[in-house]
Amino acid sequence: MMQPNSPVAQTQPPDTGGDTVELVPREEDIVTFPGGLPGFESCRRFVVMSPGEAPPLQCLQGLDASRPTFLTIDPALVLRRYRRVLSPADRLRLEAREDDTLLWMAVVTCGVDETATVNLRAPIVINPRVMIGFQVMPHQSLYPIRHPLKL
Amino acid sequence: MLVIGRKRDEAIVIGDGIEIRVLRSGRDGVKLGVTAPPSVSVHRREIYDLIRAENQWAARHSADLPQLVSRLRGRSATRTE
Repeated sequence: MMQPNSPVAQTQPPDTGGDTVELVPREEDIVTFPGGLPGFESCRRFVVMSPGEAPPLQCLQGLDASRPTFLTIDPALVLRRYRRVLSPADRLRLEAREDDTLLWMAVVTCGVDETATVNLRAPIVINPRVMIGFQVMPHQSLYPIRHPLKL
Repeated sequence: MLVIGRKRDEAIVIGDGIEIRVLRSGRDGVKLGVTAPPSVSVHRREIYDLIRAENQWAARHSADLPQLVSRLRGRSATRTE
């Protein structure tokens, strides 16, 4: 069976240790974030990458403006019973149908003190069928912006 | 900033299809009802600001990916050959 649109590009993240590596993603790997992300509103195009050495972490690389890079993880790997809640307006924005399998990613933040936390409050959700994503900010949430992360 | 006085049950309309109505007002705050198309997201300012700040911090510190991965796994940073 053919793999439907996979949002995970078969690309390595840019090597930030040396000179900047120009990332040239394939058109079909680009996810559109119509409103950008809070703090990066003018970055509308992103690619999801799986760093070979870093599963289950993924990398969300912006292609516009300041080209922000985010490290992300499936929130269900952080909390097994993580509740994936979307409002009808959220689903509409993602053009989500009943049978769409959505990709959920929580942003990982490095603390200054050798710790890392994960934002379970506002997960990023992508609909691979239409390659549209946005950061969900529910009005009520059980989860914190900074949940301690251990791998 | 445009300043408009409104009483209870009065509303303002912004652009096409956005309405903000005063449902209740009291000594310690007001309760607003917002009607907007699904494409317009509505957030409490302070929550939006927290998430924006967290995103900015996360992006600023994502450059050292290999070191971070090693650190999260409880190892010292990967040695380069």
